[in-house]
Amino acid sequence: MSANESPTDPAAEQMVEQASATTPESPTEAPSDVSPDIAPTRKTRRRPEHKPPPADDPSPQEVSESKPESPKASNESAVLQGGWGYWGSWGKSLLSTATATVATVGQGISQVIEKAETTLGIPSPEELSAQAPQEENTDGGTAGAEGEAQDDTAMGGALGMLSSLSSVVQSTGKTVITGSLDALEFIGKKTMDVIAEGDPGFKKTKGLMIRPTTLSQVLREAKEREEQQTSEDLSSDVEKKAHYGMLFDEFQGLAHLEALESLSRESEIKVKSVLTSMSGGELAQLKADLEEVSEPFSLMEFEDDDDDTKEDSDGVEFAKELRDAMSRLQLSVTADKLTQARTNIHDRIADVKSATPVSTTEEDEKDEADEMAVPQHTPEDVHALAISSLAELTAKSIELFHKVAQVVLHNASGNAQISTGDQAKVLAQITIMLCKEISLLSKSFTCCLTTVGSNEKGEVLNPLITGVFLEASNSATYIQDAFQLLRTVLQLAHIQRTADFAQ
Amino acid sequence: MEAIWLYQFRLIVIGDSTVGKSCLIRRFTEGRFAQVSDPTVGVDFFSRLVEIEPGKRIKLQIWDTAGQERFRSITRAYYRNSVGGLLLFDITNRRSFQNVHEWLEEARSHVQPHSIVFLLVGHKCDLEAQRQVSRQEAEKLAAAYGMRYVETSARDAINVERAFTELTRDIFELVKRGDITIQEGWEGVKSGFVPNVVHSSEEVTKSDRRCLC
Repeated sequence: MSANESPTDPAAEQMVEQASATTPESPTEAPSDVSPDIAPTRKTRRRPEHKPPPADDPSPQEVSESKPESPKASNESAVLQGGWGYWGSWGKSLLSTATATVATVGQGISQVIEKAETTLGIPSPEELSAQAPQEENTDGGTAGAEGEAQDDTAMGGALGMLSSLSSVVQSTGKTVITGSLDALEFIGKKTMDVIAEGDPGFKKTKGLMIRPTTLSQVLREAKEREEQQTSEDLSSDVEKKAHYGMLFDEFQGLAHLEALESLSRESEIKVKSVLTSMSGGELAQLKADLEEVSEPFSLMEFEDDDDDTKEDSDGVEFAKELRDAMSRLQLSVTADKLTQARTNIHDRIADVKSATPVSTTEEDEKDEADEMAVPQHTPEDVHALAISSLAELTAKSIELFHKVAQVVLHNASGNAQISTGDQAKVLAQITIMLCKEISLLSKSFTCCLTTVGSNEKGEVLNPLITGVFLEASNSATYIQDAFQLLRTVLQLAHIQRTADFAQ
Repeated sequence: MEAIWLYQFRLIVIGDSTVGKSCLIRRFTEGRFAQVSDPTVGVDFFSRLVEIEPGKRIKLQIWDTAGQERFRSITRAYYRNSVGGLLLFDITNRRSFQNVHEWLEEARSHVQPHSIVFLLVGHKCDLEAQRQVSRQEAEKLAAAYGMRYVETSARDAINVERAFTELTRDIFELVKRGDITIQEGWEGVKSGFVPNVVHSSEEVTKSDRRCLC
């Protein structure tokens, strides 16, 4: 049984780690459920370890499906399954709190676990183990529930929600008996799954942490879901809605990401085959070299709490820094498309700001005058602009990494004076710059949103603001994950260069 | 509704360096001519919707490849997942025309087990005075390989739409006839989403897509 649980642990740890990474930012924040204008998502995710290979990390669904196979497990879960209707009723309440909880994920996983525990009404381990032997024969409801758990990908909406909950309950019951500490972790993780079902945006993030899928798969799924939705409610006013995944694809982010992933995979295979063909001192030397190339990929530090004082709203400083960094790479790749996109985004923000009447705002730095001329922007407009801008900048960032990968691999014998390890360091810096820029951007957009929507009610404005922060956080994650794909590419480039040099 | 399309076709654009692949694609997807264009690094991606019949839209995902030899190993990897391709040469550059054979050979050897519907494009037809390849010659070559031949100019926007839509139509016909089928693990043709609520003018879209899957 422990074999079933242990593979999920790293994922759970990662989540806890993320949660703790975000927590210190808002220590004074009131633990209210709806406080989205505080920015828990602003913090970029730190990601030191390399992703475990997919095979070691079965998806939560597989885990919960495989569990009932053990006869003991199904008997135990029967204890909990007995009152199916009872469990069904709290599913609804959890559903309604799920979205609100997403807003405060930054406050730490403990709260989520706590919430899950109280909402689930899980009995204490002692109670459970006492009950278990008595009720071993009440097997009736299990079979049906099992079936539902397996079907839950097929079923949408509330039913899918309930069935996934039933699998939570099944596995939870078992886990609680075997070890209560594990159980806590497990409930927390399962709760995340449940929360994610109510919020597709959150699911993307969660998917990155837990699922054994590649990044492009996650994004592709998101895009396809959105396309499906869009085509389903064609009659309604869908143009207003901003779909990150679809936009990301429109900016060719998905295509570049997939291409980068395949380059990364190919490189990994080649590096491995070179390593197996070597032995002795040569092997040790190469391993050490490759280790050096890999180092910048695991030492990434994102200290973006303090640096925010610098004002770079027009992106000029960003463009300059990026250009410098790119030239240090000595790869004859430019970041022009990216900086151009950044400039356009800035212009659009400026348009929105200038079109917003000053009278309703506190900050009066802007010029007045044209209140009548320019059409008013709605908060929905600004939100759509924000999502689209984030998707564009992320897509361009990934495109840049893809270009770098292609040139690194095919210019390996070229005239670069810089070592592959140093290139990796520069790329790590670029990643940090990009993530900071995303963070800055989300701030200016939410500023804009509060200004534009100053007359709107909180219920209207808060989800929009949360949405921007959420997608900004996702964007930063995607960029960092794409950066990680460069590791094997640079390793292969190093091998190629060494070989060329030797000739 | 921009998002609604019947199929997605992946097209690859190949040909010698500097024949104008990127300019042609950008004219088609962005509607403008880029005066200065850096050489393409590896591969670039573009997309556009094409309405081949009223209410029937096809999403074209266009892969712009680098003509430079050093990127050849990268671009080779992309043949397999393409359903169609534009093979460009520059009518003012005889060498680029002579290399058409080579490009076709390379494509054929890397596309297995699938096949690519190619369209031969004689580009830069606005530069008539500097022409080095006659239309008859090019048509003959195209016919020998069973391709259509179109002369285009990205600068003057001549036949750009035509080149892409003719290729798209040809592929669409093959898909309709079942000669090309959607396959798991192959990106050449993908099925789009058909709206549940079909506007009366678009009712045609419903009928003929299911049978192919």
